[in-house]
Amino acid sequence: MNSSSTLYKKKGPLVVFLVPAFLFLVLYLYYPFVQNVINSFSDITGLGAPAQGLNDPWWANYATLFTDPKLRTALGNTVILTVCTVVFQVGVALILALLVDSIRVGAQLFRTLYFFPIVISATALGLMFNLIFLYNGGMLNQLFSNLGIIEKNIDWKDTSHFMVTMFTPVMWQYVGFYFVILVTGLNNIPQDLYEAAALDGCVGLSKVRYVTLPLLRNVLCTCLVLAVTGALKVFDLPWVMFGAGMPQDQGWLTGTYMYDQTFNRGNVDYGSAIAMLIVVLGVVLSNVANRVFKPRNDL
Amino acid sequence: MKKNRLFALLLAAIMLLSLLAGCAGNPGGSDPTKDPGPGTKDTPKPAAPVELNVVTSYGGDDGNRKSYENAVKGYEDATGNRVQDASGTSNEEWKAKVLTDFETGTEPDVLFFFTSADAEPIIQAGKVVDVATIRAEYPDYASNMRDSMLAVASDGKNYAIPSSGFWENMFVNTKVLSDCGVAVPGPDYTWDQFLADCQTIKDKGYTPIACSLFEVPHYWFEFCIMNNGTLSEQLDIPADAGDAVGQKWAAGLNDIKDLYEKGYFPVNTLTATDAETVQLFGDGEAAFLIDGSWKVNYFVDNHGETLGDYVISYVPAKGERKASEAIGGISMGYFITKKAWDDPAKREAAVQFVKHMTSDTVMSTFVTTEVTALKNGASPAGLNPLQQAAADANAYITGVIGPVQDAVSPECKAELFANVQRVVTGDMTAEEAVAAAIALN
Repeated sequence: MNSSSTLYKKKGPLVVFLVPAFLFLVLYLYYPFVQNVINSFSDITGLGAPAQGLNDPWWANYATLFTDPKLRTALGNTVILTVCTVVFQVGVALILALLVDSIRVGAQLFRTLYFFPIVISATALGLMFNLIFLYNGGMLNQLFSNLGIIEKNIDWKDTSHFMVTMFTPVMWQYVGFYFVILVTGLNNIPQDLYEAAALDGCVGLSKVRYVTLPLLRNVLCTCLVLAVTGALKVFDLPWVMFGAGMPQDQGWLTGTYMYDQTFNRGNVDYGSAIAMLIVVLGVVLSNVANRVFKPRNDL
Repeated sequence: MKKNRLFALLLAAIMLLSLLAGCAGNPGGSDPTKDPGPGTKDTPKPAAPVELNVVTSYGGDDGNRKSYENAVKGYEDATGNRVQDASGTSNEEWKAKVLTDFETGTEPDVLFFFTSADAEPIIQAGKVVDVATIRAEYPDYASNMRDSMLAVASDGKNYAIPSSGFWENMFVNTKVLSDCGVAVPGPDYTWDQFLADCQTIKDKGYTPIACSLFEVPHYWFEFCIMNNGTLSEQLDIPADAGDAVGQKWAAGLNDIKDLYEKGYFPVNTLTATDAETVQLFGDGEAAFLIDGSWKVNYFVDNHGETLGDYVISYVPAKGERKASEAIGGISMGYFITKKAWDDPAKREAAVQFVKHMTSDTVMSTFVTTEVTALKNGASPAGLNPLQQAAADANAYITGVIGPVQDAVSPECKAELFANVQRVVTGDMTAEEAVAAAIALN
């Protein structure tokens, strides 16, 4: 028997190649995760400082999670962001993917254009949107003022407008990411099915409803899980644009609040507890998303 | 088959070894309780140019950025060493980042930082080298400085070599005042006059006070609490919100609240950055700005055409304070880290860098009207109009004291200033804000 044809029957070499990656994960993911759990019960007053024993009581940080008003605000904003991510990021990406899939000329160009925002650094995007939403001399205020839509500048970061100002750039940046995933999913749908459907008179929106969407279910489910868990971790753009809880502690997200507590306030153990909360929420919400949208293996 | 297996094992071993590639070398300095270095005077000179990691507050739009860059270039040209500069703009986030870098072992070789309570974490952790230890190796280190003016840490030692000092006072846009028919404040400026002037300025359509209460309420806080006490009591720290000092702090916060409620701050003071509000002042849309000596060169670099529109004046006073009393001193200096000190090549480079940056010649390019610790004083090359205005104003200063915020812990300060916006909007009382801050001191 040819020795190379027996190679794949032996698991030994596969294990050998998997071990380095596994060790890497253990060192840089699982070990820090376990340490973070321990930190959330410890009394730590500065990043890198040793723990001064356990908190008294040891569950103090987790009790604070339920009573901290800023965390409550952060959770509320994150839930809203999650819903917006599902509806606007994935929703808009789906519409764009369906549109691009239905054209022949320029499809590649549109794929590039819609994917482009993802390759731009979130910090650079934040600075750009800061200029757009600037109160004095910002692009939007200048435009609205010149068109006579407003007489006085709008403070886009005040309590009335901050949510739109914060979420719009986040939505805009990652639509392309889901768009590419969905386009790839659409490309995997056999054309024969569309031809067969067309023979039965199923075209246009009916085709999308009865053929495309059911066959895209698994990919959509993946996108929704990614969107939900991604919304819990959002940090860079909101931090660059809004900083610590702007406006007036109403702009917190779970990611930005965790960062502020850990790095700005030196409240490392409480920051670890918030991180654990984000993980738990991520696992719970992704499981819920999986159950609700039920990926099917018979498609 | 055996060859394939051997090849697979070899590849796996190479991959494993590559994971360990970054693990060589000193993990971040020796044990701080041990003797710092060999302690010999014959430190070998580096054979090759050294790359020195430096962090200062001369980043971003700091008024001394150009002077700093020129000085660094001078050092690089003279020594052949290369400075890897990671300077930032001095704000609470920058301070937190610096302290975090020390705690995670990624501190720079030379740090220009505050010499107040902000530096205590790195001093107590043994992460910076004291001046006496450096002088045991380099006897002429900081020999051009008056030792009595070196900052003393909580352990009684000196760690930082001071650069130029600072003052905080009121910048005034004379064009705005002129348009509003308001006189430039003098050293007898009262709070009541200030309120009347602000109303006049506001009625004319300008913003009276350029200040971001979100980002930098610091200066108004210092002067407002001084207005409710005296210069000599400025550095008192309350034990709780109810004692006399706590009530002074609360009264100061309430004064800021009063200014906010009267609409004397920018409309977006709670969402603007400091850069935006200073821009407002520079563009002639706001009248008063409390800032520091470091801001003078900012206006020279960014608003050179309208430099004549700005003068330095006096923060309005009430109670026992006089408007001619200001905040100032020497609050920052150059630290050499243990990490650099324990590396013979970097030790020499770091010492030469600090000596260069604090030399009489280089200091004279930073200093205009600020106090220094130089034995021979600084010799600034010539004052631009704003610097001359500062010198003219400083001639009438009758008292200077350091900021009390430098005497409290970083956590206390972060909590206090984060709550200013909640106090002015009525979300929190001033007493609650003081209590919450002091609880973290």
